[in-house]
Amino acid sequence: MHLKKLSINKIPFLILILILFCLIALSIGPTKIDIFTTCKILLSQIPGWEQLLPENVKESQITIILKIRLPRIILAALVGMALATVGASFQGIFKNPMADPYIIGISSGAALGAAIAIVTNLSFILGSLATSLMAFLTGLLSIFVVYNLARDGNRVPIHNLLLAGVALSAFMSAMMSLLMVINSKEMSQIVFWLLGSFSLSNWSQVLVATPIILSGIVGLIFFARELNLMIFGENTAQHLGVNTEQTKIIILIIGTLTVATAVSISGTIGFVGLIVPHTIRLLVGPNHKILLPVSAIAGGIFMVLTDTIARSLLNGTEIPVGIITALCGAPFFIYLLKKRKMIS
Amino acid sequence: MSSNLKIENLFFNYQEDLVLKKINLFIEKGSFLTIIGPNGSGKSTLLKVISKLVAPNRGKIWLDDLDLLSLSPRQIAQRMAVVPQNIHTDFPFTVWETVLMGRSPFLRRFENEGERDFALAKWAMEITNTLHLKDRKLTEISGGELQRVIVARALTQEPKIILLDEPTSHLDIQHQLELLELLESLNQTGGLTVVAVLHDLNLAAQFSQYILLMKNGEVVALGPPAEVLTPANIRDVYGIEVTIKENPLTGKFNVIPLARSKSIPQNGKGINIHLICGGGSGTYIMDTLVQSGYNVSAGVLNIGDTDWTHAKKLGLKVSEEAPFNPISEKSLQKNRALLEKAQGIIITPVPFGHGNLGNLKLALDACKKGTPVLIIQQEENMHVDFTNGQADILWKELKKTGAHFACNLQEIFTFLDIINERQER
Repeated sequence: MHLKKLSINKIPFLILILILFCLIALSIGPTKIDIFTTCKILLSQIPGWEQLLPENVKESQITIILKIRLPRIILAALVGMALATVGASFQGIFKNPMADPYIIGISSGAALGAAIAIVTNLSFILGSLATSLMAFLTGLLSIFVVYNLARDGNRVPIHNLLLAGVALSAFMSAMMSLLMVINSKEMSQIVFWLLGSFSLSNWSQVLVATPIILSGIVGLIFFARELNLMIFGENTAQHLGVNTEQTKIIILIIGTLTVATAVSISGTIGFVGLIVPHTIRLLVGPNHKILLPVSAIAGGIFMVLTDTIARSLLNGTEIPVGIITALCGAPFFIYLLKKRKMIS
Repeated sequence: MSSNLKIENLFFNYQEDLVLKKINLFIEKGSFLTIIGPNGSGKSTLLKVISKLVAPNRGKIWLDDLDLLSLSPRQIAQRMAVVPQNIHTDFPFTVWETVLMGRSPFLRRFENEGERDFALAKWAMEITNTLHLKDRKLTEISGGELQRVIVARALTQEPKIILLDEPTSHLDIQHQLELLELLESLNQTGGLTVVAVLHDLNLAAQFSQYILLMKNGEVVALGPPAEVLTPANIRDVYGIEVTIKENPLTGKFNVIPLARSKSIPQNGKGINIHLICGGGSGTYIMDTLVQSGYNVSAGVLNIGDTDWTHAKKLGLKVSEEAPFNPISEKSLQKNRALLEKAQGIIITPVPFGHGNLGNLKLALDACKKGTPVLIIQQEENMHVDFTNGQADILWKELKKTGAHFACNLQEIFTFLDIINERQER
C-alpha cells in the first residue's frame, strides 16, 4: 500500500486534483449550477475573457458562485491545508504520531477568546470580525503562556510543553464552560463556533488568511530535513547538526500563527490535523519533504469535501463541519488504534 | 581523518549536584579511549558535554585548535559523530533513509544527496553489515540491527572523532565483538579517534588503548588498560573484588569478578601473615593482603610457580625451592622461621603431594602453638590429596586443633577480622 515512488515532482498533479475537487464543490449546492457553467463563470472574471460568460446565466448564479461559494471553498481548502501541515509538523517535533495542531492548547485558548467575544457582544463594537480576531489573539496568547511555563532556562523541553499545554487547556476549557453556563442564551452560538463552520466566509477573510497560511505552509516545508531528524529525538538531531532549540521555536511560531489563523476563520475543527498526516504517512512514508506538501493538499481536499457534505447533506440546514470531520475521523482513528495494537 | 580532543578544567553541575568535577583530559588523535565507571559516575554526562548537548559550568573543550563550545551544532556534526545509548522511533523511516541522514550536516537547505553521499552511506552499511536491511523500516528491525544502523549513520558523517555511549548494550556477544572490531579497524587503519563508554571491563581491556576510570564525577585513573584496571582501582570504584588474569593467547588480560567487597580491614599494618599456596591459588589473596597493609610471606614455593612469580612481583618474603623439586629440609627450615613470625596462616586450595606435604606439617605445628590458621576450600570438605591420605590426616588434625575453614571471600575477611582483634588485645 506504500506509494514509495511518490516524489516531489508529482505535487503539481496533486494540486490539480485539489483544484478539480474545488470546482466540483463549487457546482454543488441548493442552487444547481453545472460544472461547465461554473468554470465559464470563473474564467469570465479574467480580464479580457469576459465573452466566455454564457448568455443564459442569471446574475444570482454569478453571485452565488463568486460571492458565496468561492470564498468559502478557498477558505475550507486553506484551513484544511493549514491544519494538516501543522499537524504533520507537530507530530514531528513532538515525536508522537498522535499529536495534533491543538496539542499544546491553542484550540482552548482560541475557543475561550471566541466565547468572550460572543458573550460580551464585542461584534456590535468591532463588527463581524470580532470573534475571529479575539480567537486569533487569545490562541496566540495561550501558546505564549504555555511556552513560557515550559521554558527551563534557554531550553524548552518537549514534555514540559505538553504538560503545560494540557494544564492550561484544562484551565481555559473550564473558564469557557463557566462562561457558557452563565450565559446560557449564547450557548448555542458558542457551541456552533466550537464545532467549526465556514458558513460566515467572505472575501476579506480570504485576503487576510491566504498569505499567512500559504507562507506558513511553505515555511514549515523549509524545515522538512530538521523535522526528519527531530523524530529521532532532540539529542540525535543535534548530533546530526540541527540547532534544535532554534528549530523548535521557529516551528512552534510558524505553526501557531498558521493554526491561529485557521481557527479564527472556522472555529476549532477537530481530527483533520490528526488523521490527514497520519494517513498520508501510511501512504508515502515519514519523510517530511514529501509528507508535508502531500498532507497539505490532502488536508485541503478533505476539508473541501467535508464542508460540501456539511452544507448540502441536510436540505436547508447547515451542519457544523466539525461534526462531519469527527464522524469520519473518529471511526478511522479507532481503526488506526486497532491496527497499532495488532502490530504490537 | 582524525582530531585531538582536549578538555580543560571541566565542571558541570545539575541543579545542586556536582556531576563532573575538574575533568582534565587529552584525547590524542587516532586513539581509542574507553570511559568506564559505575552508574552515576558521570561518564554519560561527560559524553554529553563533549558533544555539546549540555553546557559545562566551567572549563574549555578544544577540538584540535577550535573552541568546541563556540561551534554550531552543524560545525560539530561535520567533525564529530555520536552513537547514543537509547534509540527508539515510532516513525517508519527506511534503513536507507536513516543512514543517509548522516549526510545532513553537509547539505544545504533543499540540496539533495549526491553520488558521493550515496556512496558513503552504502560503504557505511557494508562495513556495519546492514546493507541487506536497506529497504526495511526502522520499526520492523531488531534492537541490535537498529544499533548497527545508527552506527552506520554515524560513520556516514565521515567523522574525525566518534563518541559512543554504551554502543554494545543492545547487542549479543557476537555483534558486540563485531562492532568493537569494526571500530578498532577504523581506528587503526583510518585513524578515527574513538571515545566509548563501555560497561564491560573485559571488552574495555581488550579494545582500548587508554581507559578513563571515573567515580562520582571525578577521574580516578587514566592510562593503558593494565595500569587502570587493577584490583585496587576496581575495588575502590565498583566495590567488588576481582582478579586479573593475563590471557596468554592474546596478551590482553581478563578481569574476573569474585565477589562484592566487604569492608576490607585496612588496619593490617604490622601484622604478618603467611601463605601456603601454589599454582596461582594465592595471587588474589596476596594482592588483597598487601593492599590492606599486611606483611605477607609465602612458601615454600617452587621457583617459576605462578604464585612464586606473583609473590616476587609484589616483593614478598618467600621461602623457595628449585623448580619441580620436592621441598628440601633447608627450605622447610626457612619457611618455619617465616611461620613463627606470622600472626596468621592461610592455606589456599592447593593440591598436596609428597613434594609439599611439609608445608602442611609446619602449619599444624604453628596451629598447635596457637597461631590462627585458615584453610580455604573451593567447596566444603573438599581437599585435593595426592598423598594416599597423609594430607587428609593432617587436615583432620588441623580441624581438631581449631583451624578455621572458609569457602568464600566473606569468610576470609572474617578470619582477618579475628586476627586483627587478637592483635589489638
